[in-house]
Amino acid sequence: MSLSNETAPAAGRAWASKEEFIGCVKLTDWILLLILFLVLLGSFHIHYMLLAGDWDFWIDFKDRRMWPTVAPIVAMCFAAAAQSFFWQKFRLPFGATVACFALLVGEWINRYDNFWGWTFFPINLVFPSALIPMGFWLDVVLLLSGSWIVTAVLGGMGWGLLFYPSNWPVLAQFHQATEVDGVLLTLADLIGFNYVRTGTPEYIRMIERGTLRTFGKDVVPVAAFFSGFVSMLVYFLWWKVGGWFSTVKYLENDDV
Amino acid sequence: MTQSFFQKLARAASGRAGRLLSVGAAAVVAATTFAATPAAAHGERSQQAFLRMRTLNWYDVKWSKTTLNVNEEMELTGKVHVFSGWPQAVAKPEEAFLNVGEPGPVLIRKSAFVGDSPVPRTFSLDIGHDYDYKIVLKARRPGRYHVHVQINVKDGGPIVGPGQWVEIKGDMKDFTNPVTLLDGSTIDLESYGINWTYGYHFLWMAAALVWILYWFLQKGIIVRGWQVAAGKKHEMISAGDKRFGGIWLASSMLALLFFYANANREFPRTLPMQAGLLTGISFIDNGKQTVTASFGGGSYKVPGRELSVNLRITNNGQEPLRVGEFTTAGLRFLNPDVFTSRPDFPDYLLADRGLSVNDPTPIAPGETRNLVITVQDARFDVERLSDLAYDTDSQFGGLLFLFSPSGKREQVEIGGPVIPKFQLGATL
Repeated sequence: MSLSNETAPAAGRAWASKEEFIGCVKLTDWILLLILFLVLLGSFHIHYMLLAGDWDFWIDFKDRRMWPTVAPIVAMCFAAAAQSFFWQKFRLPFGATVACFALLVGEWINRYDNFWGWTFFPINLVFPSALIPMGFWLDVVLLLSGSWIVTAVLGGMGWGLLFYPSNWPVLAQFHQATEVDGVLLTLADLIGFNYVRTGTPEYIRMIERGTLRTFGKDVVPVAAFFSGFVSMLVYFLWWKVGGWFSTVKYLENDDV
Repeated sequence: MTQSFFQKLARAASGRAGRLLSVGAAAVVAATTFAATPAAAHGERSQQAFLRMRTLNWYDVKWSKTTLNVNEEMELTGKVHVFSGWPQAVAKPEEAFLNVGEPGPVLIRKSAFVGDSPVPRTFSLDIGHDYDYKIVLKARRPGRYHVHVQINVKDGGPIVGPGQWVEIKGDMKDFTNPVTLLDGSTIDLESYGINWTYGYHFLWMAAALVWILYWFLQKGIIVRGWQVAAGKKHEMISAGDKRFGGIWLASSMLALLFFYANANREFPRTLPMQAGLLTGISFIDNGKQTVTASFGGGSYKVPGRELSVNLRITNNGQEPLRVGEFTTAGLRFLNPDVFTSRPDFPDYLLADRGLSVNDPTPIAPGETRNLVITVQDARFDVERLSDLAYDTDSQFGGLLFLFSPSGKREQVEIGGPVIPKFQLGATL
């Protein structure tokens, strides 16, 4: 769309050679990839911080019930939308991975510069949730099936189920037990207690609140299945949102 | 040719765009060139006066040290009275948390007690009672910081107590936070697990980059877009691509399985995070109250920053008593007839001549006397308690301390509605 009334230049060869044309396309590709990456980084980051928020900020919020329920569901939104865009427009099966990677790059910059660099919270208090294995799962299911319906069902369920195992390798060490003044705490609880957060009192944590007590201590699988199920539904919706956002509409000059 | 409104707007905008851009750039440079002054306060003055006066009354607050080295510990102790006339506008402290107001974890909280109970968790306070508290803090980051005691109330927000400047010397690199686990081993929580956290995350992120580049380096983005637009989308993914994808996923899942199993092998005994409300916290037993005070109206002179309160005080004790101190919202207003020396307390909160009584003679045992208590000091205004005149609930509150010749202290809660006087010279 242009506001100019000038006539277009006469048609002709825009490039001196085929090599120059290919070089221009490749350069544009890299610029495009960078722009898309930054757009995803910024928008997904805002979305995730608003919806996952404290569950992703602090280690003492990463419980067995609320965190594996909430975090994958809200992360699925941008993963599905990015897949929709990259798959439908370019047949590129890396949308979910790009989205997760962009989010994590943004989060790590945020956690290192802001949380550690400015306010001195140790990284073991503020590291983000790991999402990359889930991105691989979603992308490869789409690649192999070629179907967004199959990806929603299989990919969505796997997305929810893989979240906790993807994070446990880091989290396990912080679930060792210690005792402070006669009170039993995990290291995750203790880090949150030691490193003072003026605006984050203990009571705003939601540690295994809710129902679903039927399965006793096996809280994670129940939360993961529930999360996977909701992720399926979110995938359906956000695939469409992604498609809608990647639709190009032009305005006629007369409409401007 | 006539131009539409939007065309004129577009032309005007393009003409001024350069200048606007220059001014904007200059503003950005100006705003970021000079060092920003660190914030010293924690917003305690921003809360409405009636909330600060009628929720928690802090007294006997002490900082065991105001200068310490990195790794050195200090204690922040004191007492807090949970005001009987807790405002309706704020949730009751049925779920509360003892906190510290400081700019980030410059001191870490090693332990915290309310009464005899350790309170790493949320606890419940009862209206009308007094509690003593102790927070053990360990210096972590060098600098000069304002350190407050604070209690967060669920659905109510933070209620900040008095603050003191604390200076920390040394180097943060020397800071350690040793913690003994239940298995007897000791770790440094300051750095525990951080290298592995970085390693694990960045390994997966590197793998993600490989996956992205594998696809991107084949044909880029634009060419693939052209192919899709040309209707060739079903020819773009080869069997080799699918094979690679399958192998990639299988490898990823195997790696994940390995990491998961390794974590379980390395840390066989793990617990879920611990949470829960602590109830039955022991409060201070003040014994039978020997002083009563009934509120008989009051006023606040806005121009003179003067709070005048009519009280009917009865001394049921064995010794004569003199009104010595009124404390509210962390401020202390002292009667100089009683306090002959200045106590150790942050200057910005201590009005050592801020309290006067119309009849300074002691109240004899068994006597009931009508008194006019006057609280007047600039700190009342500086700490924004004078905003009481503009609050939705213009009721003040606080603790009045009376002293006997033997040094015994009696306390009584006072509070009630006050009428603002906006005219200079107005009387009660």
